[in-house]
Amino acid sequence: MPMLLGDLFIHLTWANALALVLLGLVGGVISGFAGSGAAFIMTPGMMNLRVPGVVAVGSNMAHRFGNNMMGAKRHAGLGNVDKRLSILLLVTAVIGVQIAVWINSTLFKMGGGEGNEGGGGAMSNLYISLIFIGVLTFVGAFMLRDAVRPRDSKEGSGPSMKLANMLSRLPLPPYIHFPVADVRISLWLVLLLGLVVGFLDGTVAIGGFLGVPAMIYLFGVPTTVATGSELFMAMFGGAWGAISYAYQGFVDLRLSCLLLLGSLMGVYIGAYGTKVVKEVLVRLVASSIILLCVVSRAVAVPVYLRQLNFLHFSEGWEPWLKGASTAILFAAGVGGAGLVLFYVVKATLERRKVHATLLIRKPEAEGAGG
Amino acid sequence: MPIVFVSGVPFGGGERLAKELARKLGYAFLDREEVVARANESGIPVGKLEVALVKKPAVQERMVRLRDRYLAVATATICEKAAAGNLVYYGRAGHHLLPGVGHVLRVRVVPEPARRLETVMERLRLPREKAEKFIRDVDEDIRAWVRFVHDVDMEDLQKYDLVVNLEKLSLENAAAALCSIAELPDFRPTPASQAAMQERLLRARARIRLALDERTADADLTVRSSEGVLTITYVPRQAQLAPLIPDVLGDLPGCREIRCTMASTNILWIQEAFRPDSGTYREVNELARRWGAAVELLQYRAGGEEGEAVPVEVAPAAALKAGTGGVEDDLPEAAAGGADSSFERTLEALVQEGRSGGGHTVAGGRDRLVGAISRSVPYSLVVVDNLFLDKAPAARTRMTRELAMFLTDYVKAPILSTADLSSKLHLGRGEVLKAAAAGVLVVLLYCAIFLRQEGLLSVLGGEAHKAAPWVASVLVALLAPVVSVLYGNLLASAMKWLKMD
Repeated sequence: MPMLLGDLFIHLTWANALALVLLGLVGGVISGFAGSGAAFIMTPGMMNLRVPGVVAVGSNMAHRFGNNMMGAKRHAGLGNVDKRLSILLLVTAVIGVQIAVWINSTLFKMGGGEGNEGGGGAMSNLYISLIFIGVLTFVGAFMLRDAVRPRDSKEGSGPSMKLANMLSRLPLPPYIHFPVADVRISLWLVLLLGLVVGFLDGTVAIGGFLGVPAMIYLFGVPTTVATGSELFMAMFGGAWGAISYAYQGFVDLRLSCLLLLGSLMGVYIGAYGTKVVKEVLVRLVASSIILLCVVSRAVAVPVYLRQLNFLHFSEGWEPWLKGASTAILFAAGVGGAGLVLFYVVKATLERRKVHATLLIRKPEAEGAGG
Repeated sequence: MPIVFVSGVPFGGGERLAKELARKLGYAFLDREEVVARANESGIPVGKLEVALVKKPAVQERMVRLRDRYLAVATATICEKAAAGNLVYYGRAGHHLLPGVGHVLRVRVVPEPARRLETVMERLRLPREKAEKFIRDVDEDIRAWVRFVHDVDMEDLQKYDLVVNLEKLSLENAAAALCSIAELPDFRPTPASQAAMQERLLRARARIRLALDERTADADLTVRSSEGVLTITYVPRQAQLAPLIPDVLGDLPGCREIRCTMASTNILWIQEAFRPDSGTYREVNELARRWGAAVELLQYRAGGEEGEAVPVEVAPAAALKAGTGGVEDDLPEAAAGGADSSFERTLEALVQEGRSGGGHTVAGGRDRLVGAISRSVPYSLVVVDNLFLDKAPAARTRMTRELAMFLTDYVKAPILSTADLSSKLHLGRGEVLKAAAAGVLVVLLYCAIFLRQEGLLSVLGGEAHKAAPWVASVLVALLAPVVSVLYGNLLASAMKWLKMD
């Protein structure tokens, strides 16, 4: 397929435009369902559609820019935003984003490979894929382990607080009290998380995906406040990233608009899904999708290694590897989104069956006393 | 006679005062240790909960669940002991366990600091500095505990009827003074206050039952009660629990009816007069249907401070009459004649719709209203309207708005009037026009982007970009949020029109 402006922007056909809208829809459903960003499927999905990694990251950040604004506004209205926490995270997140943009742009300009998946930026694609695999393997495995491990019946089904309790015992003053989240956290840990979130956001656009669980698992922030505060922070951090990538020439607004068409609708469906599906199943589905995305990216890595002459194998293998990567990714996304839709439809049908409150009246005599 | 709650700090003389008071009055004595022991027997690790709270002040889902169970055990222990006779309780702001119960005397004991320090040094064999640090730490831990458990500041003296400073007053004289005060008519039980205590006991027992039964132990259940009617709400994903709940609670003493409602969330509807054929009812019910919410009715009649939180069938009007010390007139409506049938009909209509979150009545000042709103129920919305019906319309509007603003400090959910609710539910003409305009703009923007791809790509990464890269940044900074906001608003209006928001 021909690329536009050198190797930077893909040529849009009805087929790949539709695939991008579908990718947005699947990502939106999973995003609304898992309560975090869905760049973990959108970024590699775009790369599978031959978008260079760095453009996929930049366009994804631009797509999330407005989404984050809408989400932050909604969460702020519900009182789920801890502005003190968001602002402190943002201080270092902006630095992290800037570092990531610089590294990505430099690697893309180094080039590597030619005309294959992701155009000539094989070095940049390899770097993005490796960061993606490293971080999401850790996050996905942690979430999966937390979802499937046997629990003490008295412990409930909420997220594990072992790490949060461990970190709270570390002597790292000064500590800051965050009024909405109602937690006391070391300033250094908050700044460090901001830097990491900003860097990952700028590198693979998955900062929010890491930021929310980190706030829940590491700081003990309630889930709704973690989501709201991260969105508030990402509204500014993501905007900064999108503008920086645009300045470098790595944002394709056409792709952002196509993703947006599907993703906003998907978020409505996914958010409804959380009301009717057990929290443990939400974590199980989300972690499975993440790990399948990791597998999909891992399958594509040999292609970049070959393009950079780090690995030697027959060129005939490349279409197979790229096809397998795309198939795994879309199967994970469509399967996950399909599962959510299945539960949504099932719950809607079940709800229609419930016409009245279950009422059990006891004989008058038994009501006495107490 | 009242239940006397004495709140104090360790080694501050409060416990000795409470024991002396119980001896002089001939009342039973109960202290926090006994409550904690019973909680531990019920599988609530109170010690661990306290340590976790001190080390990690984050309020976690599991801790909140344990807290609610602890509160249920503490409430049940105190109510059961009080029901058997008179009671003096010594603990940490324990009177907050019985909001709405009038025959409660709330006493705060302020210790004499030097004597307290000496006591700590002597009993714990600590040097002065360590004893001072111990006192500071223990006081802070207790304050944190009270804040976590009751969501109040223990030092807020407005929450007590009496503060006893032991700096000059001896224990014996303080106890003698308290004996006289405890016998005042202001603190005597009334039928309404006793009924309110029975409700608290029933609710606490139901919570304990559900927590101890392995079938329901892990469920997210909300328990409400009113005049022996238990209303349990459960989330849709735990629909299989509905038939189990009556099994678990079936033989609970004092329970005459069990209602189980499936709900994703809860709407609290506060009014003075309810009617099932009113427009507000239809709108609240419509919203509840969309959200899968249970609707809890709270009939509130504003007045002085003499009112009681009373169950459905109790006439709050009787409780409102001032100047009687809240004794003679504070009677259940059954005795005063006729129940509020429109309130009951509204509640019954909600039961038939499958959306009942229970209902109760409260009369009196704002504190009574706040005391009647459960902290353990996760509300998504509070609808406040149709209040202060004896006032002129303008005053009614102002007072309702002031009350809604007052409630924002206590309820985290948004508070709406019925007019706001109506605009939230229905697409007005203005909203339709806005959505249409947003739709047209979205189409125009998409046309501009996709029909002029070459020019756009040149600005984003081609020759034009090389000449002025900042134009791409400005374009992204403007277009990305504008498209998102316009399309988002269009979609939100469409979902509202489809009744799927």
